[in-house]
Amino acid sequence: MNKKLLAQIKNEWRTNLWLGIELLLVSVVMWWIIDNLYCIGATYFEPRGFNVDHCYLIEMGHLTEKSPDFQEKPYQEKMDDILELVNRLRQRPEIEAVSLSQNSYPYNGSNSWTSIRLVGDTLEAGGILILRNVSPDFVKVFRYEGANGETPEQLAEMLERGEMIASDNVFTYAYKRPLPMTNYVGRRFYWQNDTTFSLQLGASMKVVRYSDFQAARTSRSILLKRTMWAEDAELCVRVRADQDVDFIERLKADSEKQLRIGNIYISNIRSFKDIRRNYQQFQYNGVRDAITMVIFLLVNIFLGLLGTFWFRTQQRKSEIALHKAHGATNSMVFTRLLSEGWLLLLIITPLALIIDFNLAYAELNARLNGVYLEWDRLLICGAISFGLIALMIAIGIGIPAQKAMKIDPADALHNE
Amino acid sequence: MIKQYTTQALAQLRQHPIISAVSIIGTALAIFLIMLVVMMQQVKTAPFAPESNRDRFLHVHYMSISNKNWKGNGGQSNGPMSERTIKELFQSLKTPEAVTIYTCMPIATPVSLPGKAATAVDLLETDDIFWRVFDFSFIDGKPYDKATFDAAQPVAVITESVARILFGTTEGVAGKEFLLNHAPYRVAGVVKDVSTLANTCYGQVWIPYTSTGQDKNAWNDGHMGMMSCTILARSRDDFDAIRQESLNRFETYNQLVGEDGYNFIHRNRPYDQEKQAISFSANQEPDLEGNRRSRLMTFLILLIVPAINLSSMTQSRLRQRVSEIGVRRAFGCNRMELMGQILMENMVVTLLAGALGLVMSVIFAHLGNELLFAQAFSNTLNPPAVDVNILIHASTFGWALLFCFILNLLSTGLPAWIASRTNIVTALSGRLH
Repeated sequence: MNKKLLAQIKNEWRTNLWLGIELLLVSVVMWWIIDNLYCIGATYFEPRGFNVDHCYLIEMGHLTEKSPDFQEKPYQEKMDDILELVNRLRQRPEIEAVSLSQNSYPYNGSNSWTSIRLVGDTLEAGGILILRNVSPDFVKVFRYEGANGETPEQLAEMLERGEMIASDNVFTYAYKRPLPMTNYVGRRFYWQNDTTFSLQLGASMKVVRYSDFQAARTSRSILLKRTMWAEDAELCVRVRADQDVDFIERLKADSEKQLRIGNIYISNIRSFKDIRRNYQQFQYNGVRDAITMVIFLLVNIFLGLLGTFWFRTQQRKSEIALHKAHGATNSMVFTRLLSEGWLLLLIITPLALIIDFNLAYAELNARLNGVYLEWDRLLICGAISFGLIALMIAIGIGIPAQKAMKIDPADALHNE
Repeated sequence: MIKQYTTQALAQLRQHPIISAVSIIGTALAIFLIMLVVMMQQVKTAPFAPESNRDRFLHVHYMSISNKNWKGNGGQSNGPMSERTIKELFQSLKTPEAVTIYTCMPIATPVSLPGKAATAVDLLETDDIFWRVFDFSFIDGKPYDKATFDAAQPVAVITESVARILFGTTEGVAGKEFLLNHAPYRVAGVVKDVSTLANTCYGQVWIPYTSTGQDKNAWNDGHMGMMSCTILARSRDDFDAIRQESLNRFETYNQLVGEDGYNFIHRNRPYDQEKQAISFSANQEPDLEGNRRSRLMTFLILLIVPAINLSSMTQSRLRQRVSEIGVRRAFGCNRMELMGQILMENMVVTLLAGALGLVMSVIFAHLGNELLFAQAFSNTLNPPAVDVNILIHASTFGWALLFCFILNLLSTGLPAWIASRTNIVTALSGRLH
């Protein structure tokens, strides 16, 4: 059977060459895109280390002297007003936790960086080591968790005591070998190359990813309590799970009467759903483009095979009729045509895989955790791409094959 | 001649309905997607009101500064600048026609009438030059002028929708008062709504930045702040001169600020519209070449894959016409003529399908604007509105035609060449090969 099919493919080598080239090109491009999507997906579905469901950012505004209600106030009183606003928000029944922070909330492109060095040792970390300056309740709002199972509440207590909290991978990333921060809990660290000032590590926390598209491996951060705040502080709240409905409208409705303190007022409230979407739109667009391209390639495979096999079944009408006259069943005719397409795909697949391998070897594909060429990934993505194309071949050939198997041998042979 | 090609092409289309459908769908789909990619790029770079001068824009959205005493933080500060820095580094340049200063992004800000509920709208703080660089259409009042700006007067230009939210009407609104951030502001003018796609000047309310003290809002010893700027060149030919002048100015200014250890980092700023469109982070220069390369790759794939498909189908069709080709050749048609004829016949089909694809892409761009033009790192929740002026330019048709031509050449060129080289005798006997 296979031998006959191969002979048939050879006989029509001219059109099959077109098909083969197309299948080869599509296989390679498809693998490249699937590989890309695979890497994005593998990162996207890693644990995030934080939770923004039911979280909101409350933007504060402050009156200027242009406003009739403006009051001249010293810095300390301004800060007291902010703390009073936090207090009043905390007392609202629908709100679970309130925090202040600087360059810290998730999906926020602004960062502060820091560096640390273990006291009495040479171990140090810096570079893009992100510093989150927060009020202790920040970990409750975004549900950070300790690497040893500490709850957000326990982490908040440590921050309150002035201890720092580091993500578990700080040294592991810096030294490219397993050095979990859990080993150093309770030890002291010099802060930003200052050997006169050190902080105690309260806990190691589960890695908090920078965004949904940044891998845990490269996201390192340190939490530290801050006590000084101005109007540009980030005010974040977590509402109780059943209180999301109309939360923004309800808070806005009360904001003028109850939540205007001194020169401070609430200027805008945004849900983290929106913040996340805006921040990650760039990557979402990339995924959108990749998926569109996959669909485009599949449609082309479908159209190409539909067109080619439409011609073929017409040309082979008498042949198929003869085949049937000699006892072939409908499904035998159908399978035979389908197998012709699949066999062609099977022939070019090793070629495609060789090209895929070379692309990965030349580091022209996507990178997952710093690696371009991984055998399992190469094979999985190759298999997915093969499967999708095989499916399209089945549909593309299926339509003309369906028609071909209904050929009435008597009629066809009679016409001949 | 063209009539003959058309008749021939249409007759062929009717002969093999399925194959014709497949060819047309394949071509239309390719042109459809290509034109979507073209439009996605055009909304970022092609001129449309109020950014009709995009061809002449040079942007400095962010700046980078280092100090020899900064150890942590990678020793740099990257972000928007202070007014003073822009004035020193860019507004002092002689070659440009104008340089406008504005806040680096629109900020959602509450507006209201006294005693009424506030609505958050996108606020951009600007200077008076802003109104000369961007061509807003005023339907009432006029922009604030230099005197008003210098006097830090609380006036605002608002869009029609904001006028409707505040006053319920768009007429006779100029001169009325409203509260912005709880401070009274007077409406100077009302403009037509602006699409978020005009991402440099987009806003819903514009006020003089002197009125909020933004001109004094600065850090890093007054070098960095919240401002960005756009340079309007007299013509694109001046770009190199402006860049050179800017470079010289950098050197001079760096010597001055160098006394306190500061150093501004150039990163080849200012960027033109195309480069600015992919400039998202302040601490690295955008890779324009890489961006163009990946777009070229996209175009190539969108062209080559369908071209292979269509080639195979064109060849199958030509195989059935082989005796006709033989007759033509026997009667003195030369190879070039024959090839030209096959190409032209197919061009008719390609153009038909291309027009279909273009229409589909325009319709889709209108309906799927939020999916298609969703802006990266935007600060507003308002969707990217599109209209005919934004989507369709003369160049749009030019691109569509060009891509149709390339696609036709790719898909028909080889089969036509093979067909034209057929030996007359074998062709007359009905065999192509």
